[in-house]
Amino acid sequence: MEINRRFLLHKGALALAGTTAIPQFLVRTVMAQGAVHPNRRLVVIFQRGAADGLNIVVPYQEKNYYAMRPSIAIPQKQVIDLDGFFGLHPSLAAFKLLYDQGHLAIVHAAGSPDMTRSHFDAQDFMESGTPGVKSTDDGWLNRALEVEDLRHRQDHTAFRALALGADVPRTLAGKIPAIAISNVSNFTVGGRGPAPSPAASAFEAMYGSSGDRIFHATGEETFDAVKMLRAANPAQYKPAADYPNGEFSNNMKQIAQLLKANLGIEAAFTDVSGWDTHQNQGGVDGQLSNRLREFSSAIRAFWQDMGDDAAGITLVTMSEFGRTARENGTGGTDHGHANAMFVLGAGVRGGKVYGRWPGLANEQLNEGRDLALTTDYRAVLGEVVSKTLGADNLDRVFPGARLREEGFLHLMPGGTPRA
Amino acid sequence: MKHVQGLWAASLCASLVVSSLPGIAEARSTPVAKGAEREGYPGQIRGDERILHALNRFTFGPRPGDLEAVKLAGLDAWFDEQLHPAEINNTALEVRLADYPAMTWSPEDLLFRLPSGAVIRQVIDGKAPMPERGALYAVYENAMTRVAAKRQEQELKRSLPVGAQSAADAKAPATMQLGADDTKAVSFAATSASMAQDAKPADPALDPKLESAVLAMPPRDRVLRLTKMAQPQFDAFFKGLKGPERQLLMSDLTPDLRETVGALENPERVVVEELMAQRLLRDAYSNAQLEEVMTDFWMNHFNVFLRKNEATPYYLVSYERDVIRPRALGKFEDLLEATAHSPAMLIYLDNMQSIGPDSTAAEKAKVAAARNPKNKKAPEGLNENYARELMELHTLGVNGGYTQQDVIQAARILTGWTVERPQRGGGFQFDERRHEPGTKKVLGRKFKEHGEKEGRDLLHMLATHPSTARFISRKLAVRFVSDDPPQELVDRMAKTFLSSDGDIAAVLKTMFHSPEFWSEDVYRAKVKTPLEYVVSAARATNASLTNLQPLVGALRDMGMPLYGCVPPTGYKWDAADWVSTGALVNRMNFALSLAANRLNGITTTWTAEETPTLTARQPALNLLADLDSDDAPAKPADAKPPATSQSATPQTEEARLETLLVGERVSESTRAAVLEQFEQQSSGAASAMPVAMNQNPNQARRAPAAVPLEKQDQLLAGLLIGSPEFQRR
Repeated sequence: MEINRRFLLHKGALALAGTTAIPQFLVRTVMAQGAVHPNRRLVVIFQRGAADGLNIVVPYQEKNYYAMRPSIAIPQKQVIDLDGFFGLHPSLAAFKLLYDQGHLAIVHAAGSPDMTRSHFDAQDFMESGTPGVKSTDDGWLNRALEVEDLRHRQDHTAFRALALGADVPRTLAGKIPAIAISNVSNFTVGGRGPAPSPAASAFEAMYGSSGDRIFHATGEETFDAVKMLRAANPAQYKPAADYPNGEFSNNMKQIAQLLKANLGIEAAFTDVSGWDTHQNQGGVDGQLSNRLREFSSAIRAFWQDMGDDAAGITLVTMSEFGRTARENGTGGTDHGHANAMFVLGAGVRGGKVYGRWPGLANEQLNEGRDLALTTDYRAVLGEVVSKTLGADNLDRVFPGARLREEGFLHLMPGGTPRA
Repeated sequence: MKHVQGLWAASLCASLVVSSLPGIAEARSTPVAKGAEREGYPGQIRGDERILHALNRFTFGPRPGDLEAVKLAGLDAWFDEQLHPAEINNTALEVRLADYPAMTWSPEDLLFRLPSGAVIRQVIDGKAPMPERGALYAVYENAMTRVAAKRQEQELKRSLPVGAQSAADAKAPATMQLGADDTKAVSFAATSASMAQDAKPADPALDPKLESAVLAMPPRDRVLRLTKMAQPQFDAFFKGLKGPERQLLMSDLTPDLRETVGALENPERVVVEELMAQRLLRDAYSNAQLEEVMTDFWMNHFNVFLRKNEATPYYLVSYERDVIRPRALGKFEDLLEATAHSPAMLIYLDNMQSIGPDSTAAEKAKVAAARNPKNKKAPEGLNENYARELMELHTLGVNGGYTQQDVIQAARILTGWTVERPQRGGGFQFDERRHEPGTKKVLGRKFKEHGEKEGRDLLHMLATHPSTARFISRKLAVRFVSDDPPQELVDRMAKTFLSSDGDIAAVLKTMFHSPEFWSEDVYRAKVKTPLEYVVSAARATNASLTNLQPLVGALRDMGMPLYGCVPPTGYKWDAADWVSTGALVNRMNFALSLAANRLNGITTTWTAEETPTLTARQPALNLLADLDSDDAPAKPADAKPPATSQSATPQTEEARLETLLVGERVSESTRAAVLEQFEQQSSGAASAMPVAMNQNPNQARRAPAAVPLEKQDQLLAGLLIGSPEFQRR
């Protein structure tokens, strides 16, 4: 039977999908018709609060590291060695396996060239993709999806750009519609249940036939999304890995759940806070250590949970800036500059720490206090989006950055996006 | 027919309107006789819709009865009254606001009586005094004990071997461990120990006798007893209280006592919760609606983010109350100057720390750094943040014609504009030592060295600049008219701005008297922001708000947390910002919950029997009606037999709800969907699914007892409030 793809994405298939008359596997196939090529999914994680890159990926051969951090440095014996120069914080044991398998790459001394030390300015700049420019009101990832469309027009579902959280972050703000879900099981109208509530049906009819253009369109999208999600049967989901407890882990679990449900997600975003360790940061143990344990275990569990589908996923982490090289007077660190980014994916040339290391000697520090920047985060993200989402017009994604393939770190092989 | 004549005259004037000469503009602004229709301008809103339009734009949404009230008074008179909020009777609102005495305190008082984390840490370190005695002493003691316990816990964890760390995550003993040299601290520890002896020895969480004993006490004694509990026991006691018990504990307390109990638990939370509650109460209940709408406007224009630092919530109370609201309908320059002098703004945009590179303070810092090169503390210097936002966001606008050089020079002018004792609630201070010496040049104009006066002169220049007039006028037009307002309208408003020395009320009047404001194109064209949506829903359903938390939560879910806009751009009024799949799900669910009275502490006071006037069923809760009306207070209505309402047809009931809630007719599609639901409900159908699922079609016919009218009405009301029509104003 010839199935018209466009038709399937709209009323026909979805009405079908909403009933129990059709076996579940067929429903999944029907929706998968509209799903994008599996090799194009990007997961973005934002560590809000300025994570301490120097204690996360430790340059343990640097003598000054120990001199500047008498009480919070990670002893050489306790780092998880990566390459003889850098080592992971011991709480990142979950990452070591991924690193050894060649899936996890690290970029150190990376970040935004803008010198602001304001959390919200820096986050804003990083998410908008235009450091220093306050008038940008969309986000780099949204523009990347837009650029992908310009190159290759395709039908998309309401879940194409997903934020796991209460609202759509700046990263995903823009022309391409994005959806924010804080809790998969709550994404219904008028209550949960195997069938739409009377209220949901009434609303759907109302918005579906409304003459109000904006609300008609958004309304349709909304009910498509709710139905698709319901058909994916989130209540029955059983993860294929053990996630730790915690809000971030819960978000990663839901992202995995949604990715596996073939809803047409191309880009997913979530954030994790609690990195702003001005006081009592701890060293091998303590605040930061606890964060890192959940952080890495959750990402590792996500990877495992995705199973075979992990082949098409690329995951990248970032934080608005790093922290001071020296510890401060309250057992913590203050706002710094360059930081460490993680890039995880089957298509990533992992098992390596990328970027030119500027050194931690006093004269090598930025403004005499922070790790200096040698890789613009946009070069990392630019490479990732062009090789994952096929967004090749990087001047549009990161205006002003003047990114060129020569400037890439070659974290991923090839340069041609999917056909 | 009048309509045809109007049309003919309209076509004549059409050509004149299009050419938009200044002469014509002035002719338009001539006041028309009260109540007379404006003939002659094509596509103008007419009749009752003019009033609804004004209510939708100048208030947070019409309440039942508003249309009739404004009709009686006359639209022009009503608008004029709204421009003079001081003369409006707001007794009912004031009664409600009396529940929050702390909201009348100064920042200094707030920080002292409801201490922030920073204040507590200062007291522990002996840098700030502890209250002598009384409930306040207990508040401090509780807070200090919590901080000390946490520090103790962290110390303990760091000293333990790696494996035992997680085990130590469980309770650590809450003993004091303060510096031995610190006499205050030592005496505090001693007093605490003796106070601990007063409390019952047994773990109160397991002692039901204590709980019921406390609940049984009269209010003052009850609170006194709570103050006598040492912190670990107090926290355990409160943790053990279930919802209804907690309500029992608080419900008969006076506002002061309630604040005391809240402070014993978490002083900062009292400030934040009350700040948000009073804001929502004002938006929902104030009769001076335009003042509240403009307060919301300026709070966004001069945005301050709640969590900038620990003192910001405390400063925000005064910021909204003393800086913004009193000037919301006054002169723009007054507002600008007041914000520039406010600690809230100086902290938020970092001007507080800004130091002139050649100032006395900078010299001192250089000397100190040279003497101690090892201490590589970040050298303090010029901070451009406020100067930039002052020009980009507060006055000229991003294209207002300033350069980066202007920003730097303005920043130099504003050095020294700082706050004294910012963590203790101090006020504005001009610190000469931080001020950059020399002449500065901004927008081509020289500012000779003159201390604080340089800044005042700068503010005056910015406030009276034509770019500012355009920028502010456009923003107002976007808020009140449409997402893309006609340039002629903006120009006209800007002209008034300049000729009236930035009089906001005058600019609004110009707008009110402009045909663009009354164009049919803009009728119900604006999408409500989450705040406007939530408050208009509360107003339309005449909701009694005894608990504001569900609204605070709804706003957070919808992406517009109160005082929660992180960047200084503030929340915007463009549709694009607020219409998304997630937002729609939230709004629909909110509408259903509100209408079904599922929001804790919020009751819609209309029912099937209720007529659209403000009659009170529960005088204690719905004070607004009681105090506003001249009639004798309504007795609690006797439950009318449902028979009367069953005579209503689906159509009439639906129409009645439409009028009541939305204020006017909705579209056919909405009505059809709502009516179908009504019929489904009346016939008792269990599901509205077009495709029959597990139901035997025959079963549907044999309907069980019809859903009671009240429940039906709740669903219908929910549908109407969640409708596309209600999303717009």
